[in-house]
Amino acid sequence: MNEVRRLLPDLRSASGPASPERLAERGFDQALTKAWAMSSQAIIDEVTASGIKGRGGAAFPTGLKWSSVNKAEGQTKYVVMNADESELGTFKDRVLLEEDPLGALVGLLIAAHAVGARKAFCYIRGEYREVEQMLAKAIDTLTQLGWAGPGRIDVEIRRGAGAYIAGEETALFNSIEGKRPEPRVKPPFPTNKGLWGSPTLIQNVETLANVAILFAHDAQWFAEYGTKATAGTKLVALSGHIQRPGVYEVPFGMALADILNAPDLGGGVAGSGRLRAVLLGGAAGTFLSPDEVAQSQLDYASLGAFGASIGSGAVMVFDDTVDLQWVLTKLARFFADESCGQCVPCRIGTQRIWEIAEKGGLWTRTEDLRELGQAMRDASICGLGQTAPLALLSILDRPGLRQDV
Amino acid sequence: MDTQDLAINTEVAALLQGMPRDRSQLLPALWRVVDRYQELTPGVIDAVSQSLNIPYAEVYGVASFYTLFDNAPGKVPVHICTDVMCALQGAGSLQEAAEDAALGRPVAVRESACLGQCDHAPAAWIGSQVMRRATPEAVRAAVKAVGHE
Ligand SMILES: Cc1cc2nc3c(=O)[nH]c(=O)nc-3n(C[C@H](O)[C@H](O)[C@H](O)COP(=O)(O)O)c2cc1C
Ligand code: SF4
Repeated sequence: MNEVRRLLPDLRSASGPASPERLAERGFDQALTKAWAMSSQAIIDEVTASGIKGRGGAAFPTGLKWSSVNKAEGQTKYVVMNADESELGTFKDRVLLEEDPLGALVGLLIAAHAVGARKAFCYIRGEYREVEQMLAKAIDTLTQLGWAGPGRIDVEIRRGAGAYIAGEETALFNSIEGKRPEPRVKPPFPTNKGLWGSPTLIQNVETLANVAILFAHDAQWFAEYGTKATAGTKLVALSGHIQRPGVYEVPFGMALADILNAPDLGGGVAGSGRLRAVLLGGAAGTFLSPDEVAQSQLDYASLGAFGASIGSGAVMVFDDTVDLQWVLTKLARFFADESCGQCVPCRIGTQRIWEIAEKGGLWTRTEDLRELGQAMRDASICGLGQTAPLALLSILDRPGLRQDV
Repeated sequence: MDTQDLAINTEVAALLQGMPRDRSQLLPALWRVVDRYQELTPGVIDAVSQSLNIPYAEVYGVASFYTLFDNAPGKVPVHICTDVMCALQGAGSLQEAAEDAALGRPVAVRESACLGQCDHAPAAWIGSQVMRRATPEAVRAAVKAVGHE
């Protein structure tokens, strides 16, 4: 057995995912009771001790973020659950919210309690209407039990409306405020000036679910899985040419090859059965060759050695019939469509890369592409422009993946 | 103001009744009217603008940013995910089937970026329901059922 189930609930559980029975069964009621009896500092120390890092892509240490928001000046503070999940090949937050919506919400309430926020938002992508209903049910349960609601911590769902950029934290704030979801210039950072200029703590769904299971147990239990460097488990979303596509919870440090091939995880490469490449971390992720896949583990340092990152946890598998130029062209179009257009390097850069891709120049105009990529990384306001060229650059750095040259 | 505008204004005001007249309610308000009208015509935008007391240009500027508010007049959008993962699993044939079935019907077939259903590719999204492991037959039937449910 390679699969772990801690963030994801036990498959034998018969209780409704949003029911009070589930809350008790998962130990989440105890987690809330425990956190409510602790000081802000003690809660933050526990989160810091666990070593949890953000699961939305950037892997920022969660305890540090909570501490900043806690210390920030301001009468009013906000907490936000980021469930916008619009990254290519990414669906782990959806599965987590479908199977166990109370976990992330309990994490959100603990976050609010720790930093002194009375108002929480859950921002969910507009295409997840069914998931949103599940989330609403779970909020009802927590309200009925007296943990959430007006006078306690008021939790409000906000539905996105089809804008990838709205997942970027400052764009998301603008979206909630009723403005165009365009990213803001940082600094100031959300921890100091987020929603309506107040200190705001924003976390990914999976990060918050980690907090819930941490408080349902303790840091020692939390570290029973994972590596010395990174305790705990990670949700990975397997898709593409893989026998068993889906979301799996695995310990940090697991060999990537095992994630793909273990019978209870990916079950092996599908399609032709021969692996061409894995795209790790989403549209702005890194392509890994079969050799690199064979050598890497799911941990920040191991992947960093190949210039890769876990990103959103997307693991997209391509067999050797896939033309990676076709994949890159699709990615290029996506970024050109989704760039908000505020900054010139991103607006023009994403457009140019798409044009070059459409004209079949990806393998020949490598110098131009590298220059464009560098300009975008250096001069874009937000992560979209900064990371849009990454997948492409990762292939330029791996000539072996350009099968057709 | 002609009578049609007046009717829309009254209807929108009723739809948004109880919502605080606050800028932060704009996105939820737009969802309410889109769920009702599909398309955000100038008349609807104007009515929202008046109901929430937000300038027309601001409402328009926000509404036009979001893909899911950009619907064709009088047509129900049917979203086919044609992104990488679904394309590998046959999204192209779903799109053809949907377009074919949509001819002469109040349906607009739209290509969608990743719908977050890659474990059940290929996916489509019709009404507010996701179709997982969609087949051309299932998509055709769903398109034909639009307006009959
Ligand atoms: C273009 C773009 C899109 C993003 N989309 C998401 C998203 O859908 N969900 C998410 O959790 N974080 C997303 N992020 C990252 C957020 O800005 C933010 O870092 C994250 O929500 C922080 O939570 P974490 O520390 O728990 O990961 C996105 C970032 C960028 C630049
Ligand atoms: S980098 Fe791109 S998406 Fe980000 S703010 Fe600039 S133009 Fe907008």
